[in-house]
Amino acid sequence: MTSLGLAWRTAWRYRARTLLAVAGVAIIGALLFDMLLLSRGLLASFADLLDSEGFDVRVIASEGLPAMRVPIPGSADLADRIRGMSSVRDLALIRMERARVRRGTDRPRVVTLVGRTQSDIGPWTVVKGTNLPVSARLKARAPSPDPSAERGASAEREASAERDRDCPVVIGRNLATAFALEPGSSLEITATPAGVASALPSVVCRVVGLVDFSFAGVDEYAVATTMDAFEAIAAEPNHGDADLILVTSRAESGGGAAAARAIAELRPDLRVYSNEDVVEQFNRNGFAYFRQISFVLSSLTMSFAFLLVATLLTVSINQRLGEIAALRALGLGRRRIAAMLLWESALLVGAGALLALPLGGVLALLLDHILRQMPGLPERLHFFVFEPRALVIHAVLFIITAAAAAAYPVWLTTRLPIAATLRREVVG
Amino acid sequence: MPAPFVVEARGVSRVFPMAAGPVTALRDVTLHVDAGEYVAITGPSGCGKSTLLHLVGCVDTPSSGSILFERRDVAVLSESERSRIRLTRIGFVFQRFFLLPMLTAAENVELPQAEAGIAPAARRARTRALLEYVELVDRADHLPSQLSGGEMQRVAIARALANNPVLLVADEPTGELDDTSGERIADLFDRVHADGTAILVVTHNPTLALRASRRLAMKSGSLVA
Repeated sequence: MTSLGLAWRTAWRYRARTLLAVAGVAIIGALLFDMLLLSRGLLASFADLLDSEGFDVRVIASEGLPAMRVPIPGSADLADRIRGMSSVRDLALIRMERARVRRGTDRPRVVTLVGRTQSDIGPWTVVKGTNLPVSARLKARAPSPDPSAERGASAEREASAERDRDCPVVIGRNLATAFALEPGSSLEITATPAGVASALPSVVCRVVGLVDFSFAGVDEYAVATTMDAFEAIAAEPNHGDADLILVTSRAESGGGAAAARAIAELRPDLRVYSNEDVVEQFNRNGFAYFRQISFVLSSLTMSFAFLLVATLLTVSINQRLGEIAALRALGLGRRRIAAMLLWESALLVGAGALLALPLGGVLALLLDHILRQMPGLPERLHFFVFEPRALVIHAVLFIITAAAAAAYPVWLTTRLPIAATLRREVVG
Repeated sequence: MPAPFVVEARGVSRVFPMAAGPVTALRDVTLHVDAGEYVAITGPSGCGKSTLLHLVGCVDTPSSGSILFERRDVAVLSESERSRIRLTRIGFVFQRFFLLPMLTAAENVELPQAEAGIAPAARRARTRALLEYVELVDRADHLPSQLSGGEMQRVAIARALANNPVLLVADEPTGELDDTSGERIADLFDRVHADGTAILVVTHNPTLALRASRRLAMKSGSLVA
């Protein structure tokens, strides 16, 4: 019989003790697994969110989130130059303004109004209806050798331009719920620029789609429209400078990092960030707390697992000292006894660690749900995110714990004085 | 030509350091067990019988004097070498049996053979033969908890014989058994002896002691007869 076989039979023989140990390790392991998911979860979720947006470079005029808008000087000219870069596939100019939305007699809601130039990209995902119309100008750039096709395209451009004049908007789902809006519904939008006393007229807009805004909190309302409609609402007919430029790079030309470098060289006065830069900055500044908390709690949970298994094994060994001394007297070597104990520890810790995974998964879902109720968080941001590395670290930590927990009982048995123990057992 | 000694104790003493002061369990004991010999040691509790048995069985080393097992000085052997001697040359029988409770009777008998590296098929055959020898082949798949005291001791004897030892050492093998079971164990020892294995038994049981070819008595850590 192998050492593993002996350990298995021992675990089975002392089922109550085994059950207690496995349950304890499973609960501790679930906490550890959650700490591992938490240690990088927010970062991974943030990176995922950035990667899913369809753009990978953002250009702003100043760092941070200023209370007052800081426009990018000469943004239209800059956009033309960026568009001409070989590493850039598409870009959008973004304007943002505070606004008030009203529908019928319902209480008005304060929203973030986003204006976007004609482009396929924007920080939202359509969940119902359609996206904002794509620019007729952009479409007209593509040459069409077929005259009838050209006539069709022209009609489409006119229809699209007509729709643009209608003030098409996409709205967040929470606003849609608050006002019972569907694609095709209309609402009134009034710009209310921060720090400026204004009495701008309301503009009636038509909802073309319901969207998830990537970085809007669950309690925040947001509305996006075309740049033309934005300027009509904000009463800025002179095409003011953009607050933000979003750029989609070409992967074959070096991706976001290369595009960001090229734009930064073009305009050193601006802040240019690739997705990687944003994630790195987030990791450095805002995320260190989560890592530290996670590290402290992980260390504590591992200590509990170690103490639990070490205590159970030591108590178990103390109950079986006579048996072990007899095995040694029969000629079973120290290594064999040590291997048996190591396997016993590995079985208890291994079974607990395996059970910890589904348990930790369920717990992570629950905790994630609770944490995501915090105000101001983007709806798609998660705290607990599964990554394969979490599984690897979980396994490695438990292997170390199993070995460490077995160390003292192994030391105890290998140094066991055989004759004295046998004598004590008989006298006892 | 005289039979070679299996084991020989030469002027052996064993002193245990205790908190209240050292306790001398054995004083200058000289003893030998010849190949195939059956020796019984009797004496009152605490006279040093088990201590002597542990020294002869290579589970302990003397404070002074020497133990020669098959002419090799046990004191100079490493722990793993002594362990190997216990595994392959000595069979142990304990008062409290010390069968592994999670293994069946057959598995308990197989365990020392597996440790000695005997192939599985040979192990199974040897185990069956040993269980037949102790008349317990029908209880091969029973756990120790499903056996009587006498049956457990017979399994323990089969386990002790698993690797064909030259010396069987038994510490009060009938100490926990009733008279009938004790008698059966004594019969079994007779058979083991008749088959050529040397036996050194420590016992309070006069019936068992009388079966031995040589009887020694101990008192206060010394052999007196």
